[in-house]
Amino acid sequence: MRNRAVKMVAAYLLTILFLLFLNFLLPRLLPGDAIIAMYSGHEMAMTEEVYEELVRMHGLDLPLHEQFLTYITQLAHGDLGYSYISNAPTAELIMGALPWTLLLVGTSFILSAIAGIVLGVESSWRRGGRFDRSLLTFMLLLDGIPSLALGIMALMIFCLHFGWFPSTGAMTPYSGAEGIGHIKDVLWHLVLPLATLTLSMIPGDYLLIRNSMMLTIREPYVLTARAKGIKKRRIKYLHAARNAILPFSTRIGIRIAYIITGALFIEKIFAYPGLGCLTYSAISNRDLPLMQGILTVSVLIVLLINIVVDMMYKKIDPRVENAY
Amino acid sequence: MKRILIASVIVIVIGICLFTPATGAAAEREIRIADKTGDWGNPSPYLAYARGPGYVRMHFIFDTLVWKNETAGPIPLLAEDWKYSSEEDAYVFNLAENATWHDGEPVTAGDVAFTIAYMKEHPYGWTVLESVDRAEVIGPHTVKIYMSSPYAPFMEDIGGTMPILPEHIWKDVANPMDFVGAGAFIGCGPFKYADFNKEHGTYRYEAFDEYYLGTPTIDQLIYVKTGDPQMALQNGEVDFADVKPDMADTIRESGFVVIAGPHYWNKKLMINHNREPLDNITFRQALCYAINQSEFVDKSLRGHGKPASYGLISSESVWASPDVPDYPYNPDKAREMISSLGYAWEDDVFTKDGKPLELQVLISMIGVGGQPTPDRDGEILKNQLEKVGILIDLTSLDTKVGDTKVVNQDFDLAISGHGAIGGDPKILYEMTVQVPGSKPSPNTARYNESEELNHLFEDLLHEMDPEKRRAAVYEAQNVYAKELPAISLYYPTSYYAYDPDAGVEWFYTIGGISKGIPIPQNKLALLGDGDGMGAETETETDAQATPIAPGLAMIAVLMAFVILQMKRSKRKP
Repeated sequence: MRNRAVKMVAAYLLTILFLLFLNFLLPRLLPGDAIIAMYSGHEMAMTEEVYEELVRMHGLDLPLHEQFLTYITQLAHGDLGYSYISNAPTAELIMGALPWTLLLVGTSFILSAIAGIVLGVESSWRRGGRFDRSLLTFMLLLDGIPSLALGIMALMIFCLHFGWFPSTGAMTPYSGAEGIGHIKDVLWHLVLPLATLTLSMIPGDYLLIRNSMMLTIREPYVLTARAKGIKKRRIKYLHAARNAILPFSTRIGIRIAYIITGALFIEKIFAYPGLGCLTYSAISNRDLPLMQGILTVSVLIVLLINIVVDMMYKKIDPRVENAY
Repeated sequence: MKRILIASVIVIVIGICLFTPATGAAAEREIRIADKTGDWGNPSPYLAYARGPGYVRMHFIFDTLVWKNETAGPIPLLAEDWKYSSEEDAYVFNLAENATWHDGEPVTAGDVAFTIAYMKEHPYGWTVLESVDRAEVIGPHTVKIYMSSPYAPFMEDIGGTMPILPEHIWKDVANPMDFVGAGAFIGCGPFKYADFNKEHGTYRYEAFDEYYLGTPTIDQLIYVKTGDPQMALQNGEVDFADVKPDMADTIRESGFVVIAGPHYWNKKLMINHNREPLDNITFRQALCYAINQSEFVDKSLRGHGKPASYGLISSESVWASPDVPDYPYNPDKAREMISSLGYAWEDDVFTKDGKPLELQVLISMIGVGGQPTPDRDGEILKNQLEKVGILIDLTSLDTKVGDTKVVNQDFDLAISGHGAIGGDPKILYEMTVQVPGSKPSPNTARYNESEELNHLFEDLLHEMDPEKRRAAVYEAQNVYAKELPAISLYYPTSYYAYDPDAGVEWFYTIGGISKGIPIPQNKLALLGDGDGMGAETETETDAQATPIAPGLAMIAVLMAFVILQMKRSKRKP
């Protein structure tokens, strides 16, 4: 038991170290001169002195191993570097964007999970019926539409045509609204990106739960529960769904990376100030310290969630314990 | 039953909260401008990003000595008048006596002299002060700037670009790149800094009532980051936005005023002169005959643009030469010229020593203002050049990677682009030769071998007689178009639209703002007598006020659902 825990921790530490190394190395392997690439679009007189100063400022004058050592040392002190393009510490930029992403993606995670689970359970319970077939067809169609297209459609219909929702941002800048008014404003701006992201995530959850439920409802214990005369809703959700939900918890761990990649396009088209937008800006400006910072944070979040899921999985399904 | 009731009450409360407008704020005359990028840095001289929009964010707060409007420049701004003395090689500026800084201190000649000394010590990206020797205070509002050598672009390059700093604040600032504390945003421009939010990409400026040229016509100016500026404009979230060329007519029909930009940005073909046969002028001229500029405008821009002058300077610039050589599309002539260089025509391809004539063309998404813009330029160029027997290896790269390859001269041809071709003709020098002591730019041809051009550039930079300088500028364009260090392809037309009810008439600045920024957000548009200007608008947006109807409809549906549930549960035994 103890050995297993040690092995697990060691495996995670190795993974972190490897990913940090990749994170450090990949931007440096991009072709061309990093300084010229970063500042080529800027209206600055790039004299030799300015160039050398920029090289020194980015620490690119040091040998590669020293750069890596500096990177790791700074990281250990919680320093994610400095974005010279944004002229701000990377950590500050990330911490500014993270809450908005958590609000958008976190809420969407919860809503899509609830909708996916309920619809998946109900669909599988009525398998082969009109409800199941219609819902399955709709979900497959929805799954085929990229989130970007969904977002644009939402903007065209609810923003441009009806004018019900704002097209952009996380709140009305300088609206003067405070307290409840401010909360309403933030929620109002959240509706369209949230609906788009949730709609794009529901089909995956639905299909997983539906398939998993298909297998679970054939289990003898479900038949036993029915024979005992337990209420249908109780059998569905407490007996069958509880077991069918196991693959879903694994999916959470995998999908947490979605915090950045999945919301990137949604955040971009709605100009939502989250990590996705920040990542887009870092890539398009080739802001190496910011790119590294975002990747580091996302790597740590993904691994952390995976550790939690790993631990939770044993609680949810004790059979896992015996599988070793 | 109880749970249904509680749930429905929660839903109704949330519904009411969501679908009713936020609390209103005081009515103010304000203008909201949409911007897709949002963050262009803190609006102070050293911290605003060294790009056009960054400078524009800063220019509302900080004034320069002279300025430009829609039709003329230089015109007085902080300097009421000025005079150049050729004997002393010095400029004398008389400043507006009623000008004050935003903190109430008067603007003096000492501030101008200080700014020059400070920027010589701490180089400012937009202005190179190598040509300036020193500045001397002649009187409280008179300053004399001595040049180290005659510098013809002075008025636009320095007088109309260098923001004047308050000495009483900046004299203690050792590192301007770190200065964001109190006073960092104190200028003497028409607007005071109120807020900048990096995270949301928003800016807010408040009118400076004591502005020496009169109170601005609006109370506050706000920049809003938007995913789609045009949609934000149509949705009433902003008053001013850039619009897609194809949508310009639709927007105009919706009641907005659409302004089409002058052509101060060009897409051009970079040429590696170190490689054969590109080092040959005849071959470069043959390329021009092989290129059909109009096809780029029709297919790549869908008609929203115009063919470029081969002399680099925009054909709409006041500096455009009337005699720039032209190369009307003529593939036969192109083939003839290539044949004259010893190439043989075999199976629709030119060959020399048994090898086909093949060139690599680097392409990347380059658009106005550095924004990635997809186009079909690469394919069009490939088709046109292959028609005259040149095989083309089209290589699509990330913009920055492409830039790096051009800088390293690891290319044959590359499609690139840049602006500032409507401002001072100094751009012709900067985009042609490698300026001594500077790192290569991906837009500079690095064509240093032409004696004739180098001689003309001397006059372009240092000839202080306006007529003589103009003659040199014209001739430099003509020689440029003959020798073709790079080939200008076309000018895209950009469009902006504004709501006329907001009360501001925006315009494009002649030659572009400052050194040629082609953005129609000149601060002078926000100055005037104030009569009828600056519409009264609530600070809350229309988008927040309209949802009451759908909100109530949704609540009604929810209520109906709850009532039905209650009836159903009553029917159950």
